[in-house]
Formats: sequence, structure tokens, C-alpha cells
Amino acid sequence: MSYFREIIDGGWSLVEGMRVTVRRLFQPLVTVQYPRKHIRMSSAYRGHIELKVFKETGTHNCIACGTCERMCPSGVIKVQGVKEQAKSPKVATHYVIDFTRCSLCGLCVETCPTQTLEYSKEYDLVGETRWDGVIDLMARLETRRAKTV
Amino acid sequence: MNIVTLTETSAQMAFWFLVGLTLTGAAIAVFPRNILYNVLGLVLALAGVGGLYLSLGSLFVAFMQLLIYVGAICIAIVFAIMLSRPLHLEVPRREVPKVAMAVVASVVFFVATVGVVLRTNWVPAAERSSDWSVETIGYLLITRYALVFEVISLVLLVAIIGAILTAGFSRRLSS
Amino acid sequence: MGNELGTEWVRLIIGLFVVLAFSQLNALFLVWLERKVAGHIQLRPGPMEVGPHGLLQTIADGLKLVGKELITPRAADRRLFVMAPVLVFMPVLVGFLVIPFSPELILRDMNVGILLIFAFSTFTVLAILAGGWASNNKYALLGAIRSVGQSVAYEIPLLLAVLSVVLMTNSMRFSEIVEAQSKVWFIFLQPVAGLIFLICATAETNRAPFDIPEAESELVAGFHTEYTGMRFGLFFLAEYTNMFIVSAVATSLFFGGWHGPLWIDFKIPGIFWFLLKTYILIFVIMWVRWTFPRIRFDQLMNFSWKVMIPLSLANLLVTALIVKLV
Repeated sequence: MSYFREIIDGGWSLVEGMRVTVRRLFQPLVTVQYPRKHIRMSSAYRGHIELKVFKETGTHNCIACGTCERMCPSGVIKVQGVKEQAKSPKVATHYVIDFTRCSLCGLCVETCPTQTLEYSKEYDLVGETRWDGVIDLMARLETRRAKTV
Repeated sequence: MNIVTLTETSAQMAFWFLVGLTLTGAAIAVFPRNILYNVLGLVLALAGVGGLYLSLGSLFVAFMQLLIYVGAICIAIVFAIMLSRPLHLEVPRREVPKVAMAVVASVVFFVATVGVVLRTNWVPAAERSSDWSVETIGYLLITRYALVFEVISLVLLVAIIGAILTAGFSRRLSS
Repeated sequence: MGNELGTEWVRLIIGLFVVLAFSQLNALFLVWLERKVAGHIQLRPGPMEVGPHGLLQTIADGLKLVGKELITPRAADRRLFVMAPVLVFMPVLVGFLVIPFSPELILRDMNVGILLIFAFSTFTVLAILAGGWASNNKYALLGAIRSVGQSVAYEIPLLLAVLSVVLMTNSMRFSEIVEAQSKVWFIFLQPVAGLIFLICATAETNRAPFDIPEAESELVAGFHTEYTGMRFGLFFLAEYTNMFIVSAVATSLFFGGWHGPLWIDFKIPGIFWFLLKTYILIFVIMWVRWTFPRIRFDQLMNFSWKVMIPLSLANLLVTALIVKLV
């Protein structure tokens, strides 16, 4: 009798399996068509670093102290700044990173004395040459400010 | 009229093509020293015989030929091939007594068949428009040839029991 | 008489071209459908890039296959290696001869139509064996051997299941079998035989969960490991066309062929119902493929010899008894 029991039980388990898959068939998709659609990354996502825009000043707070540049284990960051007049604070004018060598350790973000660095949510970083990995953060800041104005 | 002669000649050509196919297949089944070629040649020959049945006007016998001889027997032979020696080893020489015995057996069989063919008083078949073979064969199998039919099934039953016993015993011995 | 014969030839030749075109189109569509079904079952969209919803993806793939170089391994048996993909496609084409698409649309309504399909389906196995053996590759050979073993095991219950339908209709002619189902489909009278037929048909077409001849996780690609380009394409095409044939046979044997559901006359041509049912069955076969894992070889054999064959024999016996009594 266990022979028929097994056939019926086994057959029923197969039906159960088919029910699971047919329900999946009509459920909404969970994948995203990669280059066609952009999604908002979660706040925990670490992209390359980015200069924050502060509401009070309308620009970044980078004083070109060079802490991030010295802290970076891979030598990714190049930052330059000028003093407009004598005794005025230094303001960064150039901020370039070579993202191809970045290990996303986040030391630059943590050491920044003015907290002007953050992680961007950029994930679509396909390029044709290695120079596409070199990102000018000042230029990105300018385009972002141009968009908000 | 023209088309009728055309179809007749094409039927003739098809017949001789099938005969050629059968003989080629038979030759391939016997002569090459590559055992898979032999089986495929046998398949070709049996399919050719099936085609001959088709040209005789019986679809049923032709398809049965394919189903049983190609589908069952040749596949069974393939199983036997799996037990044969690997092909990259040296091919064993043909032994003369074996070949002689095979030749004698085939000649005897051939002579017997030809004898039967020559001694039969052939009458031309009546014109038949449709395939009659299914009903006729079925009818004959359970009336005139019922005993033969039963004996053959008995032989098959004995073969099945024998196979089960052999398999069962050898397994019990090995374990 | 002569004229009639002439039209018969014309009919056959036109039929051949239609069948060839249809089998290609059908395979293109089925490959796409398969990928879509697989995708959606796994909560992803499947091919999306070429054409609307990836509909032209298989055409692109086919073009790629045609463009590929045909590689013959040096140690392969050349003649058999080249012949096998052609041989695998022949029985598939022959199958179309007798499939009853609608009362008027049967290429040749033979009185032994069912036998024709099963007689020629054995050539598929032989072609797989020849291809696998000729490749001279251990995975290909293993795949071929498995295919032979599987086909022997599953052809028996398949034929027994068909036989119980033949017993009920007293005919092996497709049109008569379909006509006999104008009131009740045979799946309701012969549920066991229908189920056995579907399972064995899945096994005969080497589809998952019975795809051990080409089990990619253990045998690379099974019997077609060494095949490239359009030679591989032919094996692929044959698999999908085989799926269509098997589903069409199941439709006409168990699901009422060209008859509509509920036995209501919808004033829709029979071919519509036939194709609809066939493609639903194909969908079910795909659904099964993407649900169940591949079964092991010993399970496969046990299932056939210990479950399918006894069940189909018992079913045949009961059918014969009932047919005799009623």
C-alpha cells in the first residue's frame, strides 16, 4: 500500500511545486534593467566621494587642508586651494580623485575637519579608458549647483 | 496517361533505391570493423526493408518494422555494444572458423528462403485501394495463427523471466 | 487519376515547405517563450533588448549561430558527426505528416498515423547516439548512452498509454481519434494514460526534469558538447520542434484536438483550438522544466520500470476490460 501512498504523496508534492512557480510567474519582477533604468541607492551605499553643498554658504566647505590627501592609503586624492587675500581662509579650487585606485575605505570622509565630504550614490561608472575613472569633484559640484539654481 | 507511366517508373526507381539501400546497409552491417557502423548499417538495412513493405502497400507492417526492429532491437544491440571493448584498442582479428560458420549459416538460410520463394505459386494480388493489413493481420493472429502467437508470447515470457532471474542472481552474488 | 496524383504531389511539396517554415518559426517563438517563462518564474524579465520585449532575440541568436564556424574535432568520426544533426531533424519533419490541425488540415490522414510518429521517433535516439559517439568525447558519449537508456525505459509506458486510447477508439487514424472526442475528451476518460503520456513525452524529448542526456551541471552539454554553429542549432531546433510534435500528439489523443471546450460551437476554426491547446501544453512542459530539479539516473530508471510501466499496464488492462464489458 505504501507504493500507492508514495505515488500519491509524491504527485501531490509535484503539484505543490508547480503552484509555487506559477504564482511566481505573475508576481512583479525584482530585477532592474541595468543601463535603462536608474534606481535610488540606499543611504548605506558608498559610491566615490563627493563634495557636499551647504545651504548656508551655497557651496562646499573644503579648506584644502590636505588631510584627506595625506590620509588616503592609495593616493587617490589631489586637492589644491588658494587664499584669496592674505589672512583669509584657504578655499579649495581643484579637487580631483582617481577612482580606479580607490578602495572605498572612507578615511577621507572621516578625517575631513569641515565634514564637507560624503559618499555619492553613483553606481553607473562604465568608461572606455582608465581616464574615465578620474573624477573632477569641483566640476561635478558646479553642475549640481547649476541644476539646483 | 503520361503521368501514370511517370509514377510507375518513379515507383520502380523507388523500389530499386530501397533494394540498394537495404543491401548497402547489410554490407555496412557486416564488413566494417567499427561496431557502431555495423549497428547503423543494420538500422539502414532494416529501414530499407520497412521501405519495401511500404512499396508493397502496407503502412502498418512498414511502421511496425521500424518500431520493432529499429526502435527496439537495434537499441538493444546498442546496449550490448556498451559492453564491447573500447575502439582505440587494437581490433581483434577475424577468426577463420567463425567466419566460415557464419557464411555457411547464411548460405543455408539464403538457399532455404530462395527455395521457398521459387516453390511458392505466386498469384497477382487483387487491386486494393486502401490499407487492409491492420485488420487482416489482427484477424489472422487470433484465428489461424493463434497457436503460433501464443507460443511466441510464451517464449517472450520465458525470456523475460530468465532475464529477471539472471539479473537478480548476479546481483545477489555480487553483493 | 493522373491529375489526382499530380495534385497529391503538389500538396505534399507545398506541405513540406509550410512545415519547414512553420518548424523554424515555431522554434524561434518557443525559445523566446521558454526564456520568458523561465525569467518570470525567477522574478526577472528575460530577454528585453532585441525587439519589443526581446521578441527578436532568438532571430539574433540564430544569425549568430549561422555565422559561427563549424568545428569538427580532429579525433571525431567525420561522417557520422556531420550526419547526426541532419538525421535528428528528419523524424521531426515526418511527424508533421499526420498531425490533425483541423478536420481539413491533415497532410496525410493515414490509418496508422500514430504508429508513424512513434516509429520515426526512434531515429532521434539513434541520431543522438551517432552524434555523441562520433564526437569522441567522454561527456558526449555518456550523454548519448544515457539518452538510449532513457528512451528504452520511457518508450514502453508511452506506447502503452497510447494503446489504451487506441483500444477505446479502435483506430490508429488521428482524425478518427479526434472525432471520437467530440463529446468527452479522453483526458477525462483516461486520466492515468494522459498523465503517463505527458510524463513520458517529456522524457522522450529530453526535457527537464528528464534532461540527463544533456545535464549541463555534470556533462558539460551532453551529446552535443562538441557541436558548434548551425549543427548545434539543428539539435536545438529539433528539440523545440519535437516539443511541438509531442504536444500536438497529446492534444489530439487526450485533449480533443480541434474541438473547442465545453462542446459549444464558437464558430472559430478548429485549427485555432488545436494550436491553442498545443501551446498551452508546451507551456506546461516549460513550467515543469523550471519547477523541478533534474532527477538522478537511478531515480529515472526506477520511476519508469517500477511506477510508469506497471501503472500503464494496469491501465491498459482496465481499459480493455471496460471496453469489452461496455
